[in-house]
Amino acid sequence: MAATADPDIAELARAARAHLARHRPLVAPGQAPRWPQGARIAVNVTADFDAMLLRRLLNEPPMQLAKGEFGGRVGIWRLLDLFAAHRIPATIFTPGRICELYPDALRAAVAAGHELADHMWEHHVPRDRQLELDHLGRTGAALERIAGHRPVGTRSAHTPSLLAAAGFLYTSHDCAAHLPYYLTDTEGAHTLLNLPFHYALDDAMFYSFAWLGSANPAQRITDTDRVLEMWWDAFRQQYAAGGYLNIVLHPFVSGRAQRIDMLDALFTRMKTLPGVWFATCEAVARHCLATHPRS
Amino acid sequence: MPWKQGYTISDEKSLADADLRWPDGRRCCLAITVDLGLARSGAGIGAADLTDDRARFGLAEGLPLLRGLLARLGLRATFAVPAVIAEVLGGAALRGIAAEGHEIAAHGLCQEDVSGLAREEERARIARATDILAGHLGAPPAGWFSLPRQADPFAGGTISPHTMDLLLAAGYAYFGNGLADDIPHYWVTDFATRRAMLTLPYYYHYDDQFFLLFPDKGTGLEHADALARNWRAEFAAQYRRGRYFHMTLHPHAIGFGHRLRMLEDVLTEIARQPGLWNATGTEIALHWRETWPAETSLQLKPSIWQDHPGSLS
Repeated sequence: MAATADPDIAELARAARAHLARHRPLVAPGQAPRWPQGARIAVNVTADFDAMLLRRLLNEPPMQLAKGEFGGRVGIWRLLDLFAAHRIPATIFTPGRICELYPDALRAAVAAGHELADHMWEHHVPRDRQLELDHLGRTGAALERIAGHRPVGTRSAHTPSLLAAAGFLYTSHDCAAHLPYYLTDTEGAHTLLNLPFHYALDDAMFYSFAWLGSANPAQRITDTDRVLEMWWDAFRQQYAAGGYLNIVLHPFVSGRAQRIDMLDALFTRMKTLPGVWFATCEAVARHCLATHPRS
Repeated sequence: MPWKQGYTISDEKSLADADLRWPDGRRCCLAITVDLGLARSGAGIGAADLTDDRARFGLAEGLPLLRGLLARLGLRATFAVPAVIAEVLGGAALRGIAAEGHEIAAHGLCQEDVSGLAREEERARIARATDILAGHLGAPPAGWFSLPRQADPFAGGTISPHTMDLLLAAGYAYFGNGLADDIPHYWVTDFATRRAMLTLPYYYHYDDQFFLLFPDKGTGLEHADALARNWRAEFAAQYRRGRYFHMTLHPHAIGFGHRLRMLEDVLTEIARQPGLWNATGTEIALHWRETWPAETSLQLKPSIWQDHPGSLS
């Protein structure tokens, strides 16, 4: 039996090593990146503005769609108010279709200096390559009509070669490292900067019922006091290490009044410390590419 | 696609905090829903739900204890009552609840999931539920609720594509649990005519049943402390904004010993705040219609949605 198992183990080890080799950290282990003006930490506040689109895609029932609709009617506007009050430039990852559902909110976001980035056409990446290209192009065109230029970032599993051809600078999904890192595709042909986020810093993990089919006893709906302390703790650790934090918000989740208050408290606390660089993902990406190019 | 049907149910943007007005210059609306449903699943209330310890506790102990607490604090609630529960309690008991200043609203025939029913079947059930409640109350209820059951796959309540239209046709003045806003809003059923159902807000983070599990045990969801923190934080936020705070209570859950004491602590703090407008569903609906009639206040924009090959329609 061992004779047949050995090649499998070797193959597994090869795959793991190749996987590790595709990830290139921004700086050597133990080092901190150089942020602008000597900042201690870069903070990306991001919002995935899918409203009811994912619920619609999954054919969820009417009340689930209404729950998502809150994000467009109420949540996005409250987040924009909050970002303005704190002078925080944010990145709104926007499915192309949202440009047809909530154009006014997106125009307001752009006018306030926020970045619009790709979040797929309808919150999924088609398997068919031609249709994927079609979706990527449609989203880029839709966002361009609102923002005046094509997006340079995405939060998606779009094919790296298509992203590269469309001029994307960065992606923001998965968390293979604390810091932004260069990720090369499996063909070894294309490399994209990834601005990682951890699910422990994603509001949907704490406030969602029926999160992607999870069973009722597995729900972790919790309160803002707890999440505030968790996120503050994550920030303090990265601040001390001279690192990076990417906070993921959903307007239909974090746009609820008590959660806006919690974010207000969190940002207020963060700003009591010197050297916190709040920036759009695009600004962080451009800084990383210029200051810490892939070696 | 006419308008944004299948995606949104109302206009693009909610009313801003500064534009909200409550009667007599009050600052914030306080709405309490008491759900007398005992259904565990979409099948609705069955014999087993009415003959176990939970049913006995809820109806015989939890309900009077909760009513007593509300009376002590001078608070009024809207009771969402499935028709079968109205039959269990009887007209005198229901009128007794109403006599304390509460409102009795409908909560389905047996609190069943209607999302798969044929239109005519659902129409008949709405009519039957309305008749039963009207028989006990002397007049048909003005509000209809489709609140979620604890074992539902989603925590928002279930309706069919026909529900809102049928409720309008049946003469209902409001629907009690919508999730698209945190203030009352219109659920539009016809873009051209602005036919719309006034909908009161609901959110499961302020519903006791998703945090308290009497007597279902061992599911890991006993988080009374999180529920209390949610209530406090949301009330503080909404009170400051001058909007609307609501909670949904189940006598079989919140009526139990230490939990009722927790509720008393929270409600005592809330009731102490000046400028609260504690109203029932009908009063809220009346105020809303008078102040923001659907005909003039809805800002529905024509759809710019386009159908593309390979995309959602």
